[in-house]
Amino acid sequence: MSAPTEFEVTILVTTLVILTSAYSLVRFSWNQPLRNGPGFFLGFEVPEGFYEGPGRAWLKGYRATLVALHLLLLVALGVCFALKRQDLAPLCCGGFALVYVPAVLALHLWTRHKLGTKSPIRAVALSLESRRLGDYISWPMEALYAAIIASSWWVLLRHGAKVDWLPPLLMTWSAIVLPGKIALVRSGAPLPAERTEEHYRYQDAMRRNGIRGLNAWGWLMVVTLCIFPLRQIWPPVALPWLVWIFLGVFTSVFAYMMIVIFRGQRLATTMGRDLHPIGNFATPYRRAPWMGMSRSYLVWFAIWFGGLLALVLYSQFR
Amino acid sequence: MFLTIQASDKRPVYQQIVDGVKTLIVRGNLRDGMTLPSVRQVAGDLGINLNTVAVAYRQLQEEGFVTVRHGAGAVISSRTPRPVDEAELYQPLRTALTQLILNGLTNREIEEIVHEELALLQQTRSCNGEKGGAQ
Repeated sequence: MSAPTEFEVTILVTTLVILTSAYSLVRFSWNQPLRNGPGFFLGFEVPEGFYEGPGRAWLKGYRATLVALHLLLLVALGVCFALKRQDLAPLCCGGFALVYVPAVLALHLWTRHKLGTKSPIRAVALSLESRRLGDYISWPMEALYAAIIASSWWVLLRHGAKVDWLPPLLMTWSAIVLPGKIALVRSGAPLPAERTEEHYRYQDAMRRNGIRGLNAWGWLMVVTLCIFPLRQIWPPVALPWLVWIFLGVFTSVFAYMMIVIFRGQRLATTMGRDLHPIGNFATPYRRAPWMGMSRSYLVWFAIWFGGLLALVLYSQFR
Repeated sequence: MFLTIQASDKRPVYQQIVDGVKTLIVRGNLRDGMTLPSVRQVAGDLGINLNTVAVAYRQLQEEGFVTVRHGAGAVISSRTPRPVDEAELYQPLRTALTQLILNGLTNREIEEIVHEELALLQQTRSCNGEKGGAQ
């Protein structure tokens, strides 16, 4: 059995990214501003009749931004293939994420600045349910996760004198999601006094889904990291098997991650109808946290994402 | 299980937390051995100072409604009522009655309100008692 060529792997990864991006765009992102019902735009409360007036322009602008971002990916991939530099295609896909995420965050920030409600909610409800880390995070799974990363590095350090250290370092950095999960568990927002139970379940479902998404992403990175040490100790004659096994596991974890993301989007749509999304409202005691993210989560995300960006840029320009 | 905090309420936030927890205990929503969320969680969720919540929990502890166990947090405890002198016990009732009279309610109306509230409390208690028994 022969291993798939690098070109074939590139085609597979690129196809997966394009398909999932297109599905996500059409199925969820396109109508995301309307997710919480006609009284909201991207989670921000808007006056009645908003969509008959300025709302149309807002919606058009939002969709135009999404289309422009996705076109950017298609053009970049097209250029790679036209110049026969398909080796750069995975970088384009990763680079797309590095452009897409800040662009969407900036869009939210702009919307909050322009439409964010200033009037605080006068009565807030407080849940008396304790949120323990153990209820959200599986410690045995975390231990396994850490053990795989540690043993991967142990093998690399013992056998990998000629290894390029940057890709495994990038994967390891990408896999450090535990602080993000802890911040997610700890972050909470006060609940409106009306429909409190629904708001609570919605908030908790979003928190759990965020953690599931981070878990899936982390495992995807760990699976990718494993390929580096395994290549060092795998018998050369059986190398094609390793590639096939890796592709199988990678595709399965990727599929799981996409299912988690899409399921989360669907949940947000079905549960969040006419509800205030997490932390989009101010209370007399605190201002609305941006996109419902706590300060500790934002700090972790900024460090993690910044590190990722720095490593990717360094890998290209060193 | 939720506590409602009103910005328009004249009582300070810590007092609203104390009174809210007591109400939930009386209604049977909070039972012996149940754990309250950590001070950090409550303060973080509401966006208030840690000390405000700590003061509320300390008052609940002093009044014997919760015991603070190391590692377990604040736990609702089976309470032996501490001796309270009559004036202290009746003062809130007198204030409430004065308020109702000043608002123009007759004795009969006040009696009806008290009966209704007591019946409601009894109903909630028995409901929660059944739930607790089923669990």
